[in-house]
Amino acid sequence: MKVSRLMQSKVTWAIIAEALILLVCFIIRPEFFSISYQPSTGMLYGSLIDIVNRSAEITIISMGMTLVIALGGTDLSVGALVAVAGAISLKFLRWDVLTYNTPGDYTVYPYVLVIFVPLIVCALMGLFNGFLVAKGGMQPIIATLILMVCGRGVAQILTDGKQFTTGYSPFRVIGQGSFMYLPMPIIITIIVVVAVALFTRKTAFGAFVESVGVNPSASRLSGIKADTVILIVFMITGLLSGIAGLIYSSRIMSNDSNNAGLNFEMDAILAVVIGGTNMAGGKFSLAGTVVGSLIIRTIVTFVYYFGIVSEATMAFKALIIAVVIVLQSEPVREYFAKRARKKEGVSHA
Amino acid sequence: MSELLSMKGITIEFPGVKALDNVDFSLNAGEIHSLLGENGAGKSTLIKCLTGVNHMDEGKIYLEGKEIRPSSPMEAIETGISTVFQEVNLCPNLSVAENIFVGRQPMKHRQINWREINRRAEELMSRFHLDIDVTRPLSYYSTAIQQMTSIARAVDIQAKVLILDEPTSSLDENEVQLLFNVMRELKDNGMGIIFITHFLDQIYAVSDRMTILRNGHLVGTYGIKELSKVELVTKMVGKDMDVIFNLKRADVKPDSRITLQANHIGDSSHIKDISLTLKEGELLGFAGLLGSGRTETAEMLFGASRIVQGEIILDGTKLNLTKPFDAIKAKIAFCPEDRKRDGIIGDLSIRENIMLAVQSRKGFMKPMTRQEQTDLANKYITLLGIATPDCEKKAGELSGGNQQKVILARWMAAEPEVLILDEPTRGIDIGAKAEIQRLMLEMCGSGVSVIFISSELDEIIRCSNRIVIMRDREKVAEIDGSSCTQQDILKIIAEGAA
Repeated sequence: MKVSRLMQSKVTWAIIAEALILLVCFIIRPEFFSISYQPSTGMLYGSLIDIVNRSAEITIISMGMTLVIALGGTDLSVGALVAVAGAISLKFLRWDVLTYNTPGDYTVYPYVLVIFVPLIVCALMGLFNGFLVAKGGMQPIIATLILMVCGRGVAQILTDGKQFTTGYSPFRVIGQGSFMYLPMPIIITIIVVVAVALFTRKTAFGAFVESVGVNPSASRLSGIKADTVILIVFMITGLLSGIAGLIYSSRIMSNDSNNAGLNFEMDAILAVVIGGTNMAGGKFSLAGTVVGSLIIRTIVTFVYYFGIVSEATMAFKALIIAVVIVLQSEPVREYFAKRARKKEGVSHA
Repeated sequence: MSELLSMKGITIEFPGVKALDNVDFSLNAGEIHSLLGENGAGKSTLIKCLTGVNHMDEGKIYLEGKEIRPSSPMEAIETGISTVFQEVNLCPNLSVAENIFVGRQPMKHRQINWREINRRAEELMSRFHLDIDVTRPLSYYSTAIQQMTSIARAVDIQAKVLILDEPTSSLDENEVQLLFNVMRELKDNGMGIIFITHFLDQIYAVSDRMTILRNGHLVGTYGIKELSKVELVTKMVGKDMDVIFNLKRADVKPDSRITLQANHIGDSSHIKDISLTLKEGELLGFAGLLGSGRTETAEMLFGASRIVQGEIILDGTKLNLTKPFDAIKAKIAFCPEDRKRDGIIGDLSIRENIMLAVQSRKGFMKPMTRQEQTDLANKYITLLGIATPDCEKKAGELSGGNQQKVILARWMAAEPEVLILDEPTRGIDIGAKAEIQRLMLEMCGSGVSVIFISSELDEIIRCSNRIVIMRDREKVAEIDGSSCTQQDILKIIAEGAA
């Protein structure tokens, strides 16, 4: 591909931005890049690993968010669904106070329920969002606002407003275990990203999503069942929020209806936008979204690693994201593409 | 007559192409000057250069002898160049009066003087012999009135040059006459008007001179009486039109089998009772005014709107059409009227646009490979002569005629038995028009039954085997296509009975 074409792509700029942030880290402190092996846990350690590990929830959710945004919508309920998934799994893991005094390595209900019921419930809640949008004709942002607000309420009700903790080790594996020297969340993320990529790009589903996102009316008249596409996309997003919810609660071995997944919808939307998918719908890039999610997490890690005062974290994050988005804006991309074109023109002549 | 506007040696280059190459254009005060050319000839580029949207690489523009270099649409308006676009660019939720004065409302005691605004707006509209309530929202009125509002705005800011870009494509006959009267009046007051249209009759009805462009080059400027229609078209297209217009009606044998049959179908709102039959390889024309029920009937046959009564039979089996997908499964295809809204998917590539109907019939779990898609797209790009460097270009970047060909390709690729085309030649240039008609007839030749809806009677008569005439949401007549004249059809449309 020509340099001018590359310069016009938002994904290119996202990668450049990520590289720049990492470069700054490297200059300030080269050990930022060191990765070491910890035999006691069987895992690799290091800031880079940590960035990927900690970005797992957002990356997973933003895979679904990418599709929702490609349809021209947004899903605000993902953060609440993270809390719902945590509440349900911990409800099943809750120990019986009469039998045991402390949380330990035991579960009341079969482990299958602990895993699958939250996922099924989240998928159904996603389907509910999709139903409001496809059949009810509601704007996605309004439709999903309903679950965003009441999802946490549902989580509270499920757990009687209490915070449960657990020590059940198979559950710990999801968020803290390892596989092939890598933290389990990274493995789960890779599986999810590959699965969504295969589902959208190896079938015609991705093309249908883009088509409906660009022009719903023309898509319908071309025979695409737009309603079905919308239902599937919202259901996928719900399911992925559930997976993220399990990872999140496994990390803290507890449920937290108030704070689990807080502001995840914003980070997920941001990851998608930085990744180059247009909020108006249409063409989407899953790879771009992964980079977008990594950028967000890199900034946060950067702040922690270099000991910037925690009060400044949000402002610092906003600042860097503003720079990234300016880099990606039409005029800047066009400017560099033009320069590249000129150079190419010279070399051709 | 004095020269008002003069453009000299205008050259504009886009990456890879010269959109305009050394083009001269001149406009006198009190003149209606038509700008002609096929899609992609450079008409809109020239206009955009004049209105400050595109910037010229070479050339000079003089307005009343002074050199100008508009760098933005706002600046162009300030220097006295106003444009009325095909799609009206006003605010539909504001009133007519507000639209005329938005941004420069007359003030009184530091407040907007609404009385003054409404009074002056009424005065302006009455100059155009329009007696309307100017306080109603713009969206309340027809496209014609909306365009008049746009023109009124230009008149009020004392524009010297008025550009009308395809103003008539969505107007009916009366509205066109209304517009022409306004144009003539403005011309008498010394305004210079640049008029762009695809309708040749309209050019001859109002213009004084015409300038023809082809492929970014100037062909020439002529007085209206200097060129006959045939000469004009020949200059626009650059080849002899006789060959193109030498179309042969589809040949339907009397014993051809009936493919599609509709018995007394009606939808929930407008259409009560329509019956028709369609034979294999036949072209059935639908004539009638806008709103006569042509489109609604087509939508029922395609499942885009549900029938509440009657039945649709294809090849002897009754169809239950609840959505377009059902019709596509049954091998019925439909090219909708509004290409931009219902047809083209602008941000997707030509390849994706073409493969869409085939793919949607298969369902998304049985994807075509990239290679299959590319082969399919390239096949139709060659077959239909779609002008594009490759099949990955965004469909929205093509000219109107080529977009229409892409949609046609989408349906040809789906290999339909029945093809319904709703105004497939609207808003596209004459060369592409003739090609679409040729393709339509070729499809009939290969056994496809075609329903052809058009507002242009001459093309209906030229192509149809039979013609259904609609009036007030009813089918009023069905006549033989080979032996009727425009007068016959007009009479039926006007009076009802056959």
